[in-house]
Amino acid sequence: MSTAESMAGTAGTLGSAVGTTEAGTQDERRTPGLVPVAESLRSTERRPPEPPAEAPAPAAGRAWAFWRLLGSELGLTFRRPRNLTMLAVLGVVPIVIGVALRLVASEEGMGGLVQDVVGNSLMLTFVSFSFLVLLLMPVAVSVVAGDSIAGEAGAGTLRYLLAAPAGRTRLLLVKYLNAVVFAYAVTAVVALTALLTGLVLFPAGDVTLLSGTTISMADGLLRILIAVGYVGAGMAALAAVALALSTFTEVSIGAIAATMVLVIVCQVLRAIPELGSITPYLLPSKFTNFDAVLRSPIDFGSLRDGLLAFGAYIVLFGSIAWARFSGKDITS
Amino acid sequence: MRRGTFVRWGVPIAAAAVIGAAIGAGPVIAAVSGEPVLPERSAQQLLADAVAATGKEGGIAPMSGTVQQTASLGLPALPQTGEASPLSLLSGSHEVKVWYGGADKVRVALPTQLNETNLIVNGDTAWYWESATNTATKLTIKAEARQDKRALPTPRPTDVTPQQVAEHLLANVDQHTAVRVINTAQVAGRPVYQLVLAPKDAGSLVQEIRIALDGETYVPLQVQVYAKGSAEPAFQVGFTQVTFTPPADENFTFTPPAGAKVEEKTLGAGMEQEVAADRAEHAKDVAERAKVVGQGWTTVAVVPFSLSDLKTATPSDGRQGRGPGSGAGADPSALIDSVLKSATPVSGTWGSGKLIKTKLVTALLTDDGRLLVGAVTPEEITKAAGTK
Repeated sequence: MSTAESMAGTAGTLGSAVGTTEAGTQDERRTPGLVPVAESLRSTERRPPEPPAEAPAPAAGRAWAFWRLLGSELGLTFRRPRNLTMLAVLGVVPIVIGVALRLVASEEGMGGLVQDVVGNSLMLTFVSFSFLVLLLMPVAVSVVAGDSIAGEAGAGTLRYLLAAPAGRTRLLLVKYLNAVVFAYAVTAVVALTALLTGLVLFPAGDVTLLSGTTISMADGLLRILIAVGYVGAGMAALAAVALALSTFTEVSIGAIAATMVLVIVCQVLRAIPELGSITPYLLPSKFTNFDAVLRSPIDFGSLRDGLLAFGAYIVLFGSIAWARFSGKDITS
Repeated sequence: MRRGTFVRWGVPIAAAAVIGAAIGAGPVIAAVSGEPVLPERSAQQLLADAVAATGKEGGIAPMSGTVQQTASLGLPALPQTGEASPLSLLSGSHEVKVWYGGADKVRVALPTQLNETNLIVNGDTAWYWESATNTATKLTIKAEARQDKRALPTPRPTDVTPQQVAEHLLANVDQHTAVRVINTAQVAGRPVYQLVLAPKDAGSLVQEIRIALDGETYVPLQVQVYAKGSAEPAFQVGFTQVTFTPPADENFTFTPPAGAKVEEKTLGAGMEQEVAADRAEHAKDVAERAKVVGQGWTTVAVVPFSLSDLKTATPSDGRQGRGPGSGAGADPSALIDSVLKSATPVSGTWGSGKLIKTKLVTALLTDDGRLLVGAVTPEEITKAAGTK
């Protein structure tokens, strides 16, 4: 269900969860039937934060706790039926594309891309990416990233996660890394199913690039690896946007829908030729740059531009998420 | 609001500022600095140096880079043409990769989304590769055609590079033009001399033409055409990234991939001319009846013309089985229709007709079957229409 389940695992490692809250010091403001709020705008303004009662844990212990928390987050993410279903759907799409192309291939007069795919098993990966990177993969990534903070807040489990001292930045980082790992998982699932489908349906062998040159199978696999790294980085940048939106709401579907609306609006803007001046700065217009690996020589300039844009988006929206989340009143 | 809130939100604001600075730094620094990075040169000296540097044996230094072509000609809304259609060059911006290894070693690639079109010239063979249709065309250039490059029935592969455009424009420098040199500009991160040609005639739509010559190798790196009354260039072709290292040899070798359709064509052979004979005859016929009014920048070409000529003219590339890449709007008739829709009817003592205005070119289609085209104001073109 949510991270509350993992409390048993995490709370133990995060030091005493209850001992550090000020619940015990606020007897005069306790109302029967209400759960005491650990920190609200009024209480923090009224009193300077007290130094933590116990000495901070040694660095090694903190690092271990961080990885432990990330591990439990990942375990939750990859055990949720919803996320597994999305991964499965994304894995099925390349199979469908491959089978469809295989059936079409018997007809005459096919276009270059179909010909490319039918002629070689590795090309299906790139074709699948070009289909999925526009909408379906962003949906999967924004569901996980948009749900990360808002979902906890909506389920009322956020303050338990923040019970440990110095928890906010670390929690945000854990949530973001969790989304990044999921983004790469999505990319890898698409690439692997496309690769396997291609190997089953189409002949293996030398790959013809867009430039008309031919490379060996091993070189082709290396280029697929580069493409996976690039597309995953693009999805990680989208995850930063979704995470930032997630810190502004307690309704996770709001953050998810807002991210998707942003992606769709960007795609619409890209389709308007008069707005050609702003399209290079939109995040989705960089997603499709992975076809640089299909050129000869590899167009590293275009890959570098894309990665710089992803980095800029991650820094900007990551810092927005941090600014919002570290100063937010956590009341749920 | 507590102070902590301001400090916290300062982080994303600072991040946004840094990113914005990184994006805007290049053009802004180039525009603001204004420090001459190159010694002063008169236009005369500059051209002489450029001719000396590029005219010697071997021609232009080997190089490779990315050429960006941007056109905002103020055309009426163009139909959505296919990415690879030449008509798409009339609006928006396009990137071409160029590898130049010498006069007979050129590779030009036009990358589009999941497709690429390549022209590879190596000695007397050239390959034209289209990944969208999976066809490779081998063009064999006959010896006599190579002797006289200008006699090629197809445009030279270097036509997309700024050199060609610059050469063409420098031919126009005469008493109609004011020339000056700017030595503070930068193109593709390299200091350049900008040769600015400004028409003296007020009737011209062209404000000025700027040709950027690399400060070191004198290779033309950029050509910009500014229309009257707009700060942004209406047409610009130039390198966004360039390196003067000889490109690797594998760029100029091409073997058609397995499964591709391979066609062969010979350029400069008699066959081609026979096929195009009636077309050429028609063109010659038109050329004989065509005339030129005015001189210098305000030249207006007058051609006998009727709309039916256009409607029957079809693109000669013979691509009947169009792939999904070339949209339905890729044929010229749709473009013509949309342009004619925006034409304004005009009339005067010379007669009446339809006037088509863009930022750089004005065209007048008279009702008595003439087409006048020139880079001039509408007043000038109607004046030209009056000179029978």
